Amino acid sequence: MAKKQPSIDTKNLTAVQLMELDSCTRCGECVKWCPTYAASGQKPGLAPRDKILRWREFMNKSYGVKAKLFGPTEISGAELEEFKDDVHGCTTCGICATVCESGINTVEIWESIRANLVKKGIGPYGKQSMFPKLVNQYNNPYLAAPEDRLKWIPDDVKIAEKANILYFGGCTAELRQTKLAVATARVLNKLGIEFTMLGEEEWCCGSAMIRTGQPHIEDIARRVAEHNVDAIKATGATKVLYACAGCFRASKVDWPRQLGEELPFEVIHITEFLADLIKKGQIKWVKSLDKAITYHDPCHLGRHVGVYDAPRYVLGNIPGVKFVEMDRVKEFQRCCGAGGGVKAGIPDLALGVAETRVEDALATHADILSSACPFCKRNLQDGTDSLNKKNTAGADKLEVEDIIVLVAEALGLEVIGD
Amino acid sequence: MAYFSGLSDALRITFVQMMIVSFIAMVIFVYGMIINLQKWGAGVTGYALEPEVGSKGSAIRFLKTWWKQVTEESHHGHGKPILEILVLDILFQRRILKRSPVRWFMHFTIFAGWMTLFAMSGMMFAVEMTERFIELPFTAAQFREVLQIPNDIFGYILLVGVLIAIARRLFIKEVREASIMYDWILIGVVFIVTVSGFVADGIRTGDIVWNIGMSGDTAMAYAPPAALFHSVISLLFCIAFIPYSKYIHIIATPLAILANKGGE
Ligand code: HEM
Ligand code: SF4
Ligand code: SF4
Ligand code: SF4
Repeated sequence: MAKKQPSIDTKNLTAVQLMELDSCTRCGECVKWCPTYAASGQKPGLAPRDKILRWREFMNKSYGVKAKLFGPTEISGAELEEFKDDVHGCTTCGICATVCESGINTVEIWESIRANLVKKGIGPYGKQSMFPKLVNQYNNPYLAAPEDRLKWIPDDVKIAEKANILYFGGCTAELRQTKLAVATARVLNKLGIEFTMLGEEEWCCGSAMIRTGQPHIEDIARRVAEHNVDAIKATGATKVLYACAGCFRASKVDWPRQLGEELPFEVIHITEFLADLIKKGQIKWVKSLDKAITYHDPCHLGRHVGVYDAPRYVLGNIPGVKFVEMDRVKEFQRCCGAGGGVKAGIPDLALGVAETRVEDALATHADILSSACPFCKRNLQDGTDSLNKKNTAGADKLEVEDIIVLVAEALGLEVIGD
Repeated sequence: MAYFSGLSDALRITFVQMMIVSFIAMVIFVYGMIINLQKWGAGVTGYALEPEVGSKGSAIRFLKTWWKQVTEESHHGHGKPILEILVLDILFQRRILKRSPVRWFMHFTIFAGWMTLFAMSGMMFAVEMTERFIELPFTAAQFREVLQIPNDIFGYILLVGVLIAIARRLFIKEVREASIMYDWILIGVVFIVTVSGFVADGIRTGDIVWNIGMSGDTAMAYAPPAALFHSVISLLFCIAFIPYSKYIHIIATPLAILANKGGE
């Protein structure tokens, strides 16, 4: 008789991650903070603690003492399918790792399990499975031709052929929320910062595939990282600016990992760059905004890479800005609900989380809810609109805007677009 | 509370039994740990890799992967010095304190009490063993006297922590509802070991609370078996049981905190 095989394998799960499953003490902190668990009406399967427990049990059934002595216990396809749904009901926001009393890097466990299951033919979730195909064909997930990446560029914007500084726009700002790209470019022009861009040679950063467990499909994550890094290298730029938190995180953390080497340039978020200029006295504001503004930390800018102060510093410096903090900020920020493929895969869940976050903003009575990422902006806007439809007090007056657009306004620049 | 409290020369047979139980406990522990290390070592050695076809879980692979992660730099930009992690995050358990001072007090008393009693029991064991082969400047009985007061103190520290933990799981609704056997068994065995230690000691010394109503001849008769019972379940529950229960966290949690450089 052939020896029974375990129902799961350990592809993509490191030896340390498997040990981390056994280090969970079930303290329950992660459950208290998880935004998707809360927004789902506390669906038990979404609780991080429960996901750890289940995968630990899967491991024990497959590789534990009993499995060693009597052979592995089978895990049914339905159980794995259900687990897949739950592990994708997560925005990879990372708060469960921040509060974990055992110091478990939960987010990377979720991403590893997603990839492990995708390799088994289970998952990803819904429309997420389109990402690798689209990026493979179009180099962006929005079905746009390479030349479309240049369409957002207004006549007045000057982009140098070669420069020390490169602005990596990202698919979302170049193809969807072009207002962000226009604002960034105009601000840099106005400040006299010479910069270049990759233009048609810019490819998706790979974030969407990596977060949803599909980096290995067609070797896509490594290929886009390699292409982008080589293209940036060819321009000779030494500093690369980002106004998209997703691309920023992917470049800073995922690219070096995909390529197995350090990047030959510096990765800087636009708010860090601007904060630096302000400190050097190189920004002369033109207009006072006269608004109360609050700021939502994008998970992939804040918790994932630790940029908390720069955006606040920039906002606080704009004339006429009364900066107010919401509940749950910085490392304890409440996620907007868009990340980790949730917006594409489970839009209702994303909306539910966004509403909760917008309610945090409404409680501050701010005029503007700002962020530093096109995904957050989009989802927070959707959350605001949805609350507005429900006649939530204040939702009709709340404006959602990216910091860089506010900076552009305060510099007297015109920014239109989506 | 010491494992050998109450054992006398007249009870040599019990000593042999103890040796056998200790040995069995160690074997069960080591076997379970090897299986756990192999289970962990079934994982891959780095990001996004796949295990080689036909390769089995290996303890060495786990240890190497763990050490690599402990020593490599983190791309996320956080990471604290190892010494700080050892002292503040592992011994002092700062991550629990940050989340809840009450739970920190609960756990720290369990941790400090358990670790100290474990160490003192180990010393008592070592003294009794050595005494059989070479002459020491003091007798095992004298050594036991020295340990009596610290044993009592740390026993009570441990008891306080365990009682808080049990009360929390019993009386706070959301904690109770989220508790599973895995949780209950750990606190349960720690509770049994603690109480049996107090009782064994109480019968021997005639403590008014812990002698559970025994005195005189009855106490004389029951002290050795009570001590034996406590010693046996301590060995089985505190050592042998580690790799098979939530006890594993006393090994895995410090390793996880170190691997993640103190955590996010
Ligand atoms: C060496 C480092 C250790 C670390 C970092 C550690 C960590 C933890 C953490 C984070 C919890 C969850 C606490 C909570 O619910 O908030 C816990 C629970 C627990 N730990 Fe430890 N632990 C360690 C050692 C020990 C030791 C030596 C014991 C001895 C018996 C122990 C016994 C327990 C018990 C009984 C619980 C369960 C409490 C409950 O269920 O409410 N731990 N541990
Ligand atoms: S990363 Fe965020 S959404 Fe995902 S399980 Fe953790 S807390 Fe929940
Ligand atoms: S916070 Fe960490 S240790 Fe606590 S239940 Fe969640 S995963 Fe487990
Ligand atoms: S992650 Fe960045 S580059 Fe990739 S699709 Fe999103 S915005 Fe575009």
